[in-house]
Amino acid sequence: MTRLRPQVVALLTPYLLGAFLLIALPAGISFFISFTRFNGIDRPLFIGWQNFQLLRRDPLFWVAITNSILFITLAIPLRVLGALGLALLYSRPRRAVGFYRTAAYLPTIIPDTAYALTWLWILNPLYGPINDALRLLGLPAPAWLADSAWSLPALVFISLFQIGEGFVILLAGLRHIPAEVNDAARVDGAGRRQIFTSITMPLLSPWLVLLSVRDVALSFQSTFTPAFIMTRGGPYYSTFFTPLFIYESAFDGLRFGQAAAAMLMVFLATLLLVALVYFIFEGQGFDED
Amino acid sequence: MKTRLLVFIVLIATLVLSACQPAGGSISFMVFGDPAELAAYQKLVDSFSQAHPQIQVELIQVPGQSDYRKRLSADLTAGDPADVLLINYRRFAGFANIGALEPLGAYLEKSSLITEADLYPEAVNAFKWQGELTCMPQNMPSLVVYYNKDLFDSASVPYPAADWVWDDFLFAARALTKDVDHDGVTDQFGVGIEPSLIRLAPFIWQSNGVIVDDDSNPSTLTLDLPEDLIAAEFFVSLQTVHHVVPNADEEASEDSESRFINGRLAMFFNSRRGVPTYRESAVFDWDVAALPQKDVPAGILHADAYCLPSASKNKPDAWTFIEYANSAEGQTIIAASGRTVPSLISVANSPAFLDPNAKPANSRVFLDTIPTIHALPIHPNWAEIEESASEEIMRAFYGEASVDDAMLRAVQLSREIFFEK
Repeated sequence: MTRLRPQVVALLTPYLLGAFLLIALPAGISFFISFTRFNGIDRPLFIGWQNFQLLRRDPLFWVAITNSILFITLAIPLRVLGALGLALLYSRPRRAVGFYRTAAYLPTIIPDTAYALTWLWILNPLYGPINDALRLLGLPAPAWLADSAWSLPALVFISLFQIGEGFVILLAGLRHIPAEVNDAARVDGAGRRQIFTSITMPLLSPWLVLLSVRDVALSFQSTFTPAFIMTRGGPYYSTFFTPLFIYESAFDGLRFGQAAAAMLMVFLATLLLVALVYFIFEGQGFDED
Repeated sequence: MKTRLLVFIVLIATLVLSACQPAGGSISFMVFGDPAELAAYQKLVDSFSQAHPQIQVELIQVPGQSDYRKRLSADLTAGDPADVLLINYRRFAGFANIGALEPLGAYLEKSSLITEADLYPEAVNAFKWQGELTCMPQNMPSLVVYYNKDLFDSASVPYPAADWVWDDFLFAARALTKDVDHDGVTDQFGVGIEPSLIRLAPFIWQSNGVIVDDDSNPSTLTLDLPEDLIAAEFFVSLQTVHHVVPNADEEASEDSESRFINGRLAMFFNSRRGVPTYRESAVFDWDVAALPQKDVPAGILHADAYCLPSASKNKPDAWTFIEYANSAEGQTIIAASGRTVPSLISVANSPAFLDPNAKPANSRVFLDTIPTIHALPIHPNWAEIEESASEEIMRAFYGEASVDDAMLRAVQLSREIFFEK
């Protein structure tokens, strides 16, 4: 094993310390709290599996889990496909490609709250530009966030514009594919579609796995801000996701034990989904050797 | 490089020193409300600072009540809440139940500025937890109807009478709901009312219904009783049948309160808290009326109080502030801003509150209806019960469920929250 240089250790220490203090330690404490009754003020009281039993009987918890899984199932394939499409579109040098790449990345760096507030206006059922355009075209204009049938799809739609990071990752992935491979295929008479299906996609699949796994883990949490700002979980719990459930249980109901138990369940659900993604992509990766 | 290092060290030293300053003589005061309400509290703080220059007060504002409650929970959990808190009577029990609030009865007994007898008993009783006065009631407001007199005049509809009934109200609401340009879209609504339990409750009491099985020890909501359902049907029909209230899309596009302030909604149900904003922003003539009645006259209490958290590090100064804020001088300042119906009987009956030159001209309606005011039950989980029931009421109100189904569901869900959580 190579010895770490002192500079490397010095540079890593703040991050390791931060990761321990801000992630590992709170996660450990949360794990402990999930087996207690804790109102935030009195001492936590150990109650075994009771929080998990309460969660099992709580219809709102299942609504939150169902909504979160529905969001992930709808959003992730679309987000990964969107990032892939953009990466393919803007991978080759062409006129003003830098501008297009920046434009594709830009929505990702807008702070979440500002992004949510902007969309709140864009999706306004009566005065928003989207419905104005739909009415102009003679198309039905849904109430979006005010309609329980449309609110979750609307949040999925909104999330599709914040795919800048995935776009950059796949752009790097495309650059990683040696030009000689494509050239050789072309010489052998392969068409564009054949190159895409037989070369680009297989070589890109590890990147797609990475992106999907990352998105699964992120999506369980990233629904908080849009739901909190735009819908407050409504109408009628249609956008009530797990982070909102955890937040409400802890800071509204002062049931920190139950909130921690829900967090643990979400963690397990994330692990399961990540495993599922690996399973789906199994055999599609490539071996560097 | 050396200079930079020096500047850095000085900065760190300043930060450390400022953090180590003694806490004595300074308190924080956390309130909810919009900018106009905040201005009223700022006046109170300024006046207090003049009377007690040795005590510094930091005013913290969180706009919405729901966010306020969550911020408060986080602060209490962190052991670092503001020294003086403003809490509604429907929400204080959750905090009192876990010992987060210092009971104030003993403080009040020693006060030379105020006594319990100076305050409206309805407000005092709303802040008793297990028989003990927990917070000092700041106000005594109830739900009223704010109405745009200009819109009533232009539609030749008589202003609400003191003894108006549901039918009169519905007649006015229909006459004031208009599609001005005949494009099929309603431009002016007769009524704006939040589809929530706190708005529905007075209609239920007026129909001889009850909200819970036992006011002092509730175990379930009773919204599925026949009397309650009559009230709920009427309440919901305002939107689903008569269309005198904005529907879900219209409400999401522009909320009823904004419509009222912009002069495009005739009657808006609110407590006293809307007054500072309406005084500042409404450019039309407006006033308040009592709630329309049915079988039994009934209104609903909306009181807030100053509370002292047990974790406060400066309780003596915090009490000094609460005592001042609830003295005739302090309550006069807030009453003059329009924000409160004073809980001090003397100030409520003074020109500070009843000034005929300040809107609303008919402020007396808040005092006249006190004898018929009902309060919601005091229960640690009440805020959650109310939110859960309001979701069901909203579903019926916007036509996504029948009244019977929604009320039954609200009752079923309430049992879980009363007991299990």
